[in-house]
Amino acid sequence: MTSPVLPLLSVRDLVVRYPARGHSGIPMTAVRGVSLEIAPAGIFGLVGESGSGKSSLAHAILHLSPPAGGEVLFRGQDLAAMKPSQLKAARRNIQLVFQDSLASLSPRRSVLQTLLEPLDHFRIGNPATRAEKAAMALETVGLDPALRHRYPQELSGGQKQRVALARALVAEPDLIIADEPLSSLDVSVQSRIIELILELREKLGVAFLFVSHDLSAVQRLADTVGVMYLGKMVESADTDTLFERPAHPYTRSLMAAVPVADPSHPRPAVLAGEPPSPLTPPSGCVFHMRCGDKIPICSTVVPNETFVCGETGMCEDSRRFKTISHRVRCHLWNVTKT
Amino acid sequence: MNPPVLSIRNLSVSNRRTKQPSAVVQQISFNLNPGEVLAVVGESGCGKTKTAEAIMGLLPRDGWSVQADAIELDGSDLAKLPESGLRRVRGRKISMIFQEPLTALDPVFTAGNQLASIFRRHRGKTRSEAYQCSMEMLSKVGFADTRNVLKSYPHQLSGGMRQRVMIAMAMACRPRVLIADEPTTALDVTTQAQVLDQLTRLGQEYGTSILLITHDPGVVAQYCDRALVMLEGRIVEDANVRDLFARPQHDYTRRLLASVAGVGSG
Ligand SMILES: Nc1ncnc2c1ncn2[C@@H]1O[C@H](COP(=O)(O)OP(=O)(O)OP(=O)(O)O)[C@@H](O)[C@H]1O
Ligand SMILES: Nc1ncnc2c1ncn2[C@@H]1O[C@H](COP(=O)(O)OP(=O)(O)OP(=O)(O)O)[C@@H](O)[C@H]1O
Ligand code: SF4
Ligand SMILES: [Mg+2]
Ligand SMILES: [Mg+2]
Repeated sequence: MTSPVLPLLSVRDLVVRYPARGHSGIPMTAVRGVSLEIAPAGIFGLVGESGSGKSSLAHAILHLSPPAGGEVLFRGQDLAAMKPSQLKAARRNIQLVFQDSLASLSPRRSVLQTLLEPLDHFRIGNPATRAEKAAMALETVGLDPALRHRYPQELSGGQKQRVALARALVAEPDLIIADEPLSSLDVSVQSRIIELILELREKLGVAFLFVSHDLSAVQRLADTVGVMYLGKMVESADTDTLFERPAHPYTRSLMAAVPVADPSHPRPAVLAGEPPSPLTPPSGCVFHMRCGDKIPICSTVVPNETFVCGETGMCEDSRRFKTISHRVRCHLWNVTKT
Repeated sequence: MNPPVLSIRNLSVSNRRTKQPSAVVQQISFNLNPGEVLAVVGESGCGKTKTAEAIMGLLPRDGWSVQADAIELDGSDLAKLPESGLRRVRGRKISMIFQEPLTALDPVFTAGNQLASIFRRHRGKTRSEAYQCSMEMLSKVGFADTRNVLKSYPHQLSGGMRQRVMIAMAMACRPRVLIADEPTTALDVTTQAQVLDQLTRLGQEYGTSILLITHDPGVVAQYCDRALVMLEGRIVEDANVRDLFARPQHDYTRRLLASVAGVGSG
């Protein structure tokens, strides 16, 4: 695979494994060989089942938990092989917003201190410009400046979540790995932040790995979307293709389950079948226990990853040149669905 | 019509330490009817969680002042109960799913310990019955390998898994009133559909009324009967869900619903 520009982040065949729980001894593989690339200023939206390994993947990229396999390259360099000085620079350049924003904020630091901390630590700007940068970050996430002297435990859920996002923005990194950064926010605040993130990307060229359950936010924000199920990336494509022509039955189930803001519309149907266990993953396709389209080979043969539409060719579907490939792991990838 | 299960009259909440010009919750009144799912929506910071915590009697008295003419649960006024009485009511008659699961779950006990203890304490089950009930409850909220989840400590679970464990704990005690504060923010939409289905079924099976705090207008439209719209500590609209979407009265409600038109509903 050759890309026109060197990817900012490239993750190859990443595996994350956790030790066994209790006394019975099977370790659990949470991420089972996932690859993805993010271009400079690119926004990759990661969606998928609860427990499918999204946060594990996000943490392993930063080596917060060491990957059991695969590699992570930042600007072509292996993070695991970096010297301490390079690692410090990389840490500044990759910021993580944790899924549990409260747990990640220190109860002893006010909002302002929280935002100044990375600036002081990485010696960004001088004291005057630091205060200015902190104020700008607060504005970006729509937080009232009057809240800057409050402590995290004195803020609402959504206010804390915005402090966590502002802390990542303030260091002006090249990449922000944001794990559900907008999940506690109301629609109007969300919309505003999405607009501002897109603006920042244009202005500063910051790239995002945006993990979210909110498909409409992903649709608005991401250039590329990946869909995870039980530790695997089952589908990925540029955002328009994914939303217009989802090829994997799990992706289609996700889209069908978004509750519609109209009381006369029926409730989303509940997926039939048992969810699979990550301890004893099913044979064949990871989704076969719940898939409405399955055929006999699905329960025995693992579907390969197929390029529905390659990156340097004419896309058969849209008759346009595509820069990003549409990949899917499903035996029925070429069966058209209406 | 049956009397409301929960009736709030003129509830105000203010913080004693930070000298805010106005209370974070100001003179709100509403009823929660038997079997009803009542949504609470409103901007981040408008006072939804503080309202819930005040009803539950969870705001520390040294830091917060809670005033109300009445917080009536099944006819008895919680505002007049001493802390010991409140503790008996909490978990048995009224329970809450917290917005931040990690802070609500005990890090040193397994999910199984925490869930089974509710069945033993509040429902009088034996150790092995409690274990069985815990597994059933976990499969209702979408877990496959329930045994493994029971053995897990909170930090070994994903964000959405923790949230579902907490939902299972809140459902386990079959309360009269369940306050669910953004209970599905960490769930993918297919899991959310299953969990909300189970939650609303609770209402029918055990007669639980639900106060559901959410920022998702889709969730309001699909799973709730009535909705309260809050703005800066006040209730600005209280309407049944069909009317709310067909004829929003307050300006803020109109803006709220306009911002979702066309997004994700294609
Ligand atoms: N620290 C840990 N120790 C052991 N197991 C873990 C740990 N963190 C996560 N897991 C397990 O790894 C699997 C994937 O979890 P992960 O948090 O990556 O999921 P996720 O996709 O982020 O889910 P969600 O959408 O619910 O946040 C789960 O089965 C979880 O129990
Ligand atoms: N300890 C505190 N001291 C002072 N103000 C506080 C404290 N805790 C919360 N607040 C303020 O009270 C207001 C209401 O908070 P609450 O948590 O009820 O909001 P919310 O509606 O639940 O918002 P969200 O949707 O963001 O969770 C917020 O503006 C918050 O900043
Ligand atoms: S491979 Fe088979 S079971 Fe899996 S998603 Fe495709 S059709 Fe469904
Ligand atoms: Mg997660
Ligand atoms: Mg709240």
